[in-house]
Amino acid sequence: MTVHRRRLLQGAALGTSILSMPAVLRAQPTVFRVGALNPVTGSGSTFGSGMQKMIRAGVEAVNAAGGAAGMTLEVVSEDTQTSPQAGVLAAKKLLEVNKVQAILGTWSSGVSLAVIPLTNDADVLLMHTSGAPALSLPPPNAKGLGFRFQATNDRFGRAFAEVCVKRGFKRPATMAFNNASGIGNADGFKKAWTEKGGTVVASVVYEPNQTSYRSELQKILDAKPDVIVTGSYLADTTILMREWFQSGVETHWILPGWAGNPDLAKAVGAEVLEGVISVDSTSNSASPAYALYDKAYRAAMGQPGDANVYAAMAWDMVATLALAIEAAGSPATAAIQAKIREVANPPGTAVSSFAEGKAALKSGKINYEGASSKIDFDQYGDVTPDFSVSVFEGGKLVQKDVVAI
Amino acid sequence: MGPFLQLAANGVSQGLLIGIAALSITLVFGVARFPNAATGDVMTLGAYAGLVAHGETHSLAAAGMVAVAVGAAAGVAAHWLVFRRLAGRSVVSLLVASVGVAFVIRAGLGLVFGQAQAVFQVPLVRAQSWWGIRLTPLDVQISTVAVLALLAVFATLYLTPIGRQMRAVADDRDLARVSGIRVSRVLVALWIIAGGIAGLGGMMLGLKAVVEPEIGWNVLLPAFTAAILGGIGSAPGAVLAGLLLGVVSEVSTPFVGFSYKVAVSFLIMLMVLLVRPRGLFGRIEGAR
Repeated sequence: MTVHRRRLLQGAALGTSILSMPAVLRAQPTVFRVGALNPVTGSGSTFGSGMQKMIRAGVEAVNAAGGAAGMTLEVVSEDTQTSPQAGVLAAKKLLEVNKVQAILGTWSSGVSLAVIPLTNDADVLLMHTSGAPALSLPPPNAKGLGFRFQATNDRFGRAFAEVCVKRGFKRPATMAFNNASGIGNADGFKKAWTEKGGTVVASVVYEPNQTSYRSELQKILDAKPDVIVTGSYLADTTILMREWFQSGVETHWILPGWAGNPDLAKAVGAEVLEGVISVDSTSNSASPAYALYDKAYRAAMGQPGDANVYAAMAWDMVATLALAIEAAGSPATAAIQAKIREVANPPGTAVSSFAEGKAALKSGKINYEGASSKIDFDQYGDVTPDFSVSVFEGGKLVQKDVVAI
Repeated sequence: MGPFLQLAANGVSQGLLIGIAALSITLVFGVARFPNAATGDVMTLGAYAGLVAHGETHSLAAAGMVAVAVGAAAGVAAHWLVFRRLAGRSVVSLLVASVGVAFVIRAGLGLVFGQAQAVFQVPLVRAQSWWGIRLTPLDVQISTVAVLALLAVFATLYLTPIGRQMRAVADDRDLARVSGIRVSRVLVALWIIAGGIAGLGGMMLGLKAVVEPEIGWNVLLPAFTAAILGGIGSAPGAVLAGLLLGVVSEVSTPFVGFSYKVAVSFLIMLMVLLVRPRGLFGRIEGAR
């Protein structure tokens, strides 16, 4: 009942929030408020502040190009602390106090899964970088208001299978952290690998926060795999790598990029990691949009843009959102939502920035090609980035290959 | 049989750490008479103290001593600043106060050291085979130190005057008082021991796994389980129950899988308590 009434109000562009706004805004909105909700502290802190700065930089670029649909974009920043509880509190504050009209940049599936019911209830878009397959489907994405700029865990699994084929592995085993993301990775791999006619020789789902995974590891190693594919996080991977090295058994590893990163090398040392493969979604680094993003990232963070693939996603979120607002000519969520695929997916004139897209929109349909990927959304609001395959050599990650799925 | 022995050995090295935490809990419960939820975070504090000391001295022995000292200091500080002032209040007030102490310690550690993980930079050594069971030298060291620490605590409890007084206070505080035992002194000794072993256990936990602000909190539930299973207030019971939980949950994995090994230890506790409500070594207490 409530939903119908809300839809009706929304259709008439008379949401309660608009009624409560000052009269000036009601007559002619001049500001569109964006919430930047990022993991500035906690386990995502390596990425969070870069993401937040790229949302600000993206918004500045939009405003410098005259704003979207006659409105200036305004950013309110909050920290999720990479924790669902803190993320929910921050999202509530953004929605209820700051009255943001879209939330950008949640990281980690636990946080996005916790925040999306709030954005759905408030009829606000959520653009996130989380992998859990559940975020594609109802109930989390029942309204289609969630847009994912990162590969799903399922796609990660497919990329892992591609790497196994390319490197000639025959006897893979899987180890998955017991949550939506870890199991998503392992199951995605299993599906893709068995479709290719392969078999998985052993698989384990392990509990978080254990002091040792020796028994789990023993079960996997007993099956004599030539490679172990994981859906894991940094802390558990640290313990796994150590205990595997101590066991003295030879095998290979394929880790997701959020576990197989420089922090892991710092924790376990170069010798242990030598030859371990890390797969991460990679930026669309040959694109003109990437060049723009890279420049902004260097200016804000003093590092090259490829240091933070999630910041590139955050940059693309702002461009996509602003182009959709411009195409919709209205701040209404439903109108913007309807235009997102229209400005981001082919066909249409390929554009690399908001300014370019705003101009091209006057003469027809556009297709935003982003810095993080081509930003083409499927029916679930998911994109398909390419994947970089890197190998630890002397404690450093060296990129070897780019895999498209 | 071989694989089971290996699993049992893995269980022993985990169970010893649970046992140490359970011992700290059960000592506090026996003497100060409340379940101390800050035990886990005192362990975390010990882990960070050991980490810092190891970074400075590169000696695990020195780091261990610092962890014990810091844990003991934290125990005594919590007693003086919080628990002593609430003496005589209900168990629930003290429990809630200990949860508060836990949050303060954890938040403080997060503030100082950040949320990211840290590790003890010790060289990794390959496992060796002992009668067909593969163990790493580090695990053997940790387990040896754990056993020595437990022996030291038991020696204090059963062979020294302060230990005897502590047991007397645990038995009957009023009777101990009228017999001339200074309860306040006994309580300080209690917190030194309980905090010290928690600090040491925390450092060993961090040495085995990774150091982060939640490591101690994560072992609190298994530790409480062991304390209850062993018979609340019984020091040997807590240690044996910790070992039992560690071994049973590992050895059960071929049958129930790894996701449910935590549940198995709770199942064991339920079954034992159904048959023997006072726990393995607990005594029947009259109503007071």
